[in-house]
Amino acid sequence: MRSLALLALLALEAAAAPLPAVKMPSGRLFMVIQPHHDDHTTDYGFGGLIARLVDEGWRGVYIRASNDEKDGAHGYALNDQINLKECLEACRILGIERVHSLNWRNDYMDPIPTQELRAQLILLIRLYRPDLVLGHDPWGHYDRNPDHRKVAWAMAEAVWMAGYAGVHPEHLAAGLKPHRVPYLFLKARVDYGRGHEPNVVVELNESQIARKQKAYSAHRNVYASPAMARAIRKQLAAEGLFVPELEGLNDQQAAVLIEEWYMEWISRKRGEENGLRYGEVYWFRDEFDHLPGLKDYLRENAVQP
Amino acid sequence: MRGLCFSLLAAAVALAAAPRAAAQKTLLVITADQTDYVLAAGGAVAAMMAQGATGYLIRVTNDEKDSWDLAPEETARRARMESEEAARILGFREVISLGYRAGELGGVSPTELRDRLMFYIRLHRPEVLFIPNPYAHYVEVLDRFYAGQAAEEARRAAALENFQPPFAIAGLKPHLVPELYYYAQPVDPRRREPEGPATFVPQPKVVDITPMIERKLRAAKALRTANYSLAMRIRQRLEETGRRLPLLETVNEAAVEKLVEINVRKLGEIGAQGTRFKYAEEFHYAGPEYRIPKSYRD
Repeated sequence: MRSLALLALLALEAAAAPLPAVKMPSGRLFMVIQPHHDDHTTDYGFGGLIARLVDEGWRGVYIRASNDEKDGAHGYALNDQINLKECLEACRILGIERVHSLNWRNDYMDPIPTQELRAQLILLIRLYRPDLVLGHDPWGHYDRNPDHRKVAWAMAEAVWMAGYAGVHPEHLAAGLKPHRVPYLFLKARVDYGRGHEPNVVVELNESQIARKQKAYSAHRNVYASPAMARAIRKQLAAEGLFVPELEGLNDQQAAVLIEEWYMEWISRKRGEENGLRYGEVYWFRDEFDHLPGLKDYLRENAVQP
Repeated sequence: MRGLCFSLLAAAVALAAAPRAAAQKTLLVITADQTDYVLAAGGAVAAMMAQGATGYLIRVTNDEKDSWDLAPEETARRARMESEEAARILGFREVISLGYRAGELGGVSPTELRDRLMFYIRLHRPEVLFIPNPYAHYVEVLDRFYAGQAAEEARRAAALENFQPPFAIAGLKPHLVPELYYYAQPVDPRRREPEGPATFVPQPKVVDITPMIERKLRAAKALRTANYSLAMRIRQRLEETGRRLPLLETVNEAAVEKLVEINVRKLGEIGAQGTRFKYAEEFHYAGPEYRIPKSYRD
C-alpha cells in the first residue's frame, strides 16, 4: 500500500512538472479556426497567445464557423448580429485583421458532413497560406460542446490535406496552390481529463494579459453580465463581506472588472505552475512532429544554404 | 447487452481451451493506408508470418492522394502494386483492397465499413488481428481513426450471430478473434501508460522486431510512390523556409531509400526505448488473458 501511495505521489509530481516554454515558430500569418464568436478569448486560450503573435509581427485571420445564434438572450437573429459585432471588437482589440464567418447553424453542426466543412477550411488555408493554425484540440476529452468537436475534427484534417494536390483539385484550377500548415497550437480545458495534453507554456507579458482581458469582456452578450455581478454582490453581502474595488461601480462595470480579474488570475496561475509570471498552455505541434522517425534527423541536418 | 458479453466470454473460453500453434495461426491486418501498418506494425507481423502464420492484409483506402505530381488514378494504381509488393516482402498471402478513396473515410458509413471488415474476419477466421488504434492521440491521418473504429467494432460483431444474418446463411459463421493488437506510429505522448485497470482493457505491449528490421525496411522501401511524395514534401517545406537537406539535394531513388531507412530505424529505436531490444514496435494488446477474468478461468 505504501509503494502504491508513493507511486501515486510520484505520478502527481510528474504531472506537476513545469512545461517547457515554447520556442515560437517563425512565420507571418496565423489563422484561428473556431466555431464561435468568443472561442479565441476564453480562459483556456487563445487571447494571450494572439496578442503575443501580433506583438511579434504576425498577421491574423479569424474563421468563425458557426453563427452563434444560441449564445445570448436576444433570440436567434439578434444573438447572431450582436455576437458577430462583439467578435469583431474582440479581434480588433487583439490585433486580428480579418474575420470570416462560415455561418453554420450554431449547435446544429453534427449533421454537417465533415468533408464539407473541411473543404471550406482547405480553401481558406490555400487562400491565406497560414504558417500557424490555432484551434481546439480534436483529441480533447469530455468537451460537451458539439461545435468544438466538429470544427476541431474538420480542422485536424484540413491543415494537412490542404497540402495535397489531389485534394480538391478544383482549387488549383482557380490558381490556388497546395499548402500544408506547418505549425499548430491546440487548446482544450486542462481540467477535462487526459485527452488534451499540453506540451508547452507560452510566456505572456502584462500588456498581452491586458488585451486578453479586454477581448474577453468585449463579449458582453455572453460574459460580464450585470446579473452575474448582482449575484456575487448578494452573496458577499449575505456573508458580511465587500470588495472595495467594486464599490461605486454599476453592475455592468462590476461584472467587467470581475471577468478581467478572472482572466488575470487564470493567466497568472498557468504561468506560476510553469515557472513564469503569466502564461497559457497548449499542445504545440512542430513542423515535423507528424514524422516521429524523421523529426530529429531533419532538425539536426537541415541547414541554411 | 449483458447477454452479448456472456456470448463473447463463452466463445473466448472455448477458443482459449484449444490454442493453435503459431505455425497454424491466421493473421489479419487491417490498415487504413499503405504505409501505416508497415511503419507501425510491419516487424511484428513479419515475425509472426516468418514463424508460419498465414497472413491477410486489408487495405481500406486506395491511397490515391499520396503522390507528387501524379493524378489520383495513377497514384491509386501504383499504390496498389507497391502495397502488394510490400505485403509480399512481409510474408502476406493476400492483399484485399477495399478501394475507399483516401482521405474520405469520414464520409463513409461506419456500419458499411464495419460489415465489410466483419465479412473478411468471418471468411478467414484469424486468431490474431492487427488494427489501427483509434484511441491514439495526435495521429494526423484521420482515416486511421475511422478505420480503427470500424475494425474494432467488426471484431466484436464478427463473433455475434445476430449481426448480418445473411453472412451466416452464406456459410460465414460467427468468429471471435482471440488476440487483438492496436497499432499506431509513436506520436501519442501517453502511449506507454497503462490504459486502465479493467479486465477488458487492452494494455501496452512492446514487441522485439530486431530480427525483422531488414525485412520491414525492404517492405517500407517498396512503397516508392508514397516515399517519393514524402521526400519531395520535406524538401519543399525546407526550401520554403530557406533551408536544405544535403540528403535531398537530388531526390533520386538512393536518397529516398536512405530517408526511408532513417525513418524505419528511428521508429524501431523509439519503440525499443526502455527495453533491452535494439528495435521494437509498440502496441496495445488484448489477448485471452485480458478478456477472461481470473475468476472465470479458475
